[in-house]
Amino acid sequence: MHDGSRKTTAQDGQWVMVIIAWTLVGIPLAWGVYRTFLGALKLFH
Amino acid sequence: MAASNNILAKEHTIAKPGYNRWLVPPAALAIHLSIGMAYGFSVFWLPLSQAIGINQRVECPDMTFFQEMVTKTCDWRISTLGWMFTLFFVFLGSSAAVFGHWLEREGPRKAGVVAAFCWGGGFLISAFGVYIHQIWLMWLGSGIIGGCGLGLGYISPVSTLIKWFPDRRGMATGMAIMGFGGGAMIGSPLADMLMKHFVTPTSVGVWETFVTMGVLYFIAMICGAFAYRVPAPNWKPEGWTAPVETKAMITKRHVHLNEAHKTPQFWLLWAILTLNVSAGIGVIGMASPMLQEVFAGKLIGIAKAFNDLAPDEKAKIATIAAGFTGLLSLFNIAGRIFWASLSDFIGRKTTYFIFFALGMILYAYVPTAGQQGQIAVFVGIFCVILTMYGGGFSTIPAYLADMFGTQFVGAIHGRILTAWSTAGILGPVLVNYIRDYQLAQHVPKAQVYNTTMYVLASLLVVGFVCNLLVRPVDERHFMTEEELAAERKRSHDIADDALEDTEKALRGE
Repeated sequence: MHDGSRKTTAQDGQWVMVIIAWTLVGIPLAWGVYRTFLGALKLFH
Repeated sequence: MAASNNILAKEHTIAKPGYNRWLVPPAALAIHLSIGMAYGFSVFWLPLSQAIGINQRVECPDMTFFQEMVTKTCDWRISTLGWMFTLFFVFLGSSAAVFGHWLEREGPRKAGVVAAFCWGGGFLISAFGVYIHQIWLMWLGSGIIGGCGLGLGYISPVSTLIKWFPDRRGMATGMAIMGFGGGAMIGSPLADMLMKHFVTPTSVGVWETFVTMGVLYFIAMICGAFAYRVPAPNWKPEGWTAPVETKAMITKRHVHLNEAHKTPQFWLLWAILTLNVSAGIGVIGMASPMLQEVFAGKLIGIAKAFNDLAPDEKAKIATIAAGFTGLLSLFNIAGRIFWASLSDFIGRKTTYFIFFALGMILYAYVPTAGQQGQIAVFVGIFCVILTMYGGGFSTIPAYLADMFGTQFVGAIHGRILTAWSTAGILGPVLVNYIRDYQLAQHVPKAQVYNTTMYVLASLLVVGFVCNLLVRPVDERHFMTEEELAAERKRSHDIADDALEDTEKALRGE
């Protein structure tokens, strides 16, 4: 029981790290995609 | 034997039990998003072409190529600055081919750190080159040293990701290679903002931008490299078991790097990549001028040929064409993740069949769409073509892993990337040669592109045949179990001491 809860906490912690890591690379990528999308909109004007 | 104290050593990157594999793709993305700025370097050409004159170019029309390399008083020509792209892709392919085996032996972290020093350091050398106005220093810094960083950084996560995601090889490498396509989307606007920030009456702001970006990329790549983890030997995703039925086109064995190039499969895949990328590069170079020259006044609602347009009308359609280029970039990166992920379900060979068959139809239909004035169809065709160009890059690592196994897939991928260098020369040369020849034959400007599109479509026919000829690798090329065990020992894959230390730590000893 005790070992099981410790394992769960460790895995939850890893998922927090996963979210942080994806956010760190995702924000600049999303910003770049957004800027490019704004540029691409000129095609439709 | 004690475990190495070197934090860059491969045995220090072996993941502990329970490690979450979804932490590895962001590490790969940090590196690929950084080196992907190579695609966006053209943002520097205009300011660099007036680095001496600041507001106006200092022209020296009689200057030779070698005089231009050392001049401190004349501004560089944009065509000379463009040589940087050739250096990038030649050194990317060469370094990936030469250092691939070293990467497999030493692990992704060490390769990522070296790539960070090369790419970030290359920016700093280039900054000094701009500061003292010596273009050869820029070529040395970003082109040659940075180009080696591109090659090492590009292949550094490939075999690691394939080992972490045996159930989704295509998707895993697609995520990383998507980053390479997206790097310029971040880097170009960032560089533009930095240059505007640093510009002064005595500087166009480029060297300061190079320093800032070099430091930023170095930090991002170092973080990515230190976040790399390789799975322990024989690790499998929780709840996943390798398919029991044997698929002919997916081997469970491994071909040695030094044996791979002796197989016809290696050269067929090399040809497939060369042809797909050559056609793609050719079409990327033509897309924007083709839209402007074929549709001309129609783009802004007036019935005028390109040569009859007034300067302000040409400026308007140039803005529209810039938007078109941006749209193509979006489809390029979307295709990298889409096609690579789809290949996990439909197979790599089928995926390349689609690239070549659909590509042939679309390339051949472009002239008709142009002649009939179908702007939306024309734009749509180019968008689909660009997804397949990106998909060609992102699906090839998984295709290689299927054919040659995973033990040397990073290094074999490195050697296959010489196809990219070849295509980087072949594609533009082919397009420019055909264009110049037709103009010399007085073919109208709007029709000049038609023959080129048919020639590019014929490249895809050859690619289709090459893909058709790909068969499973012959038994004699695979390593025996003993050879594989010896190779893994040499490559520190079975890092006995490190695993023992980990187990002791888990036992609380």
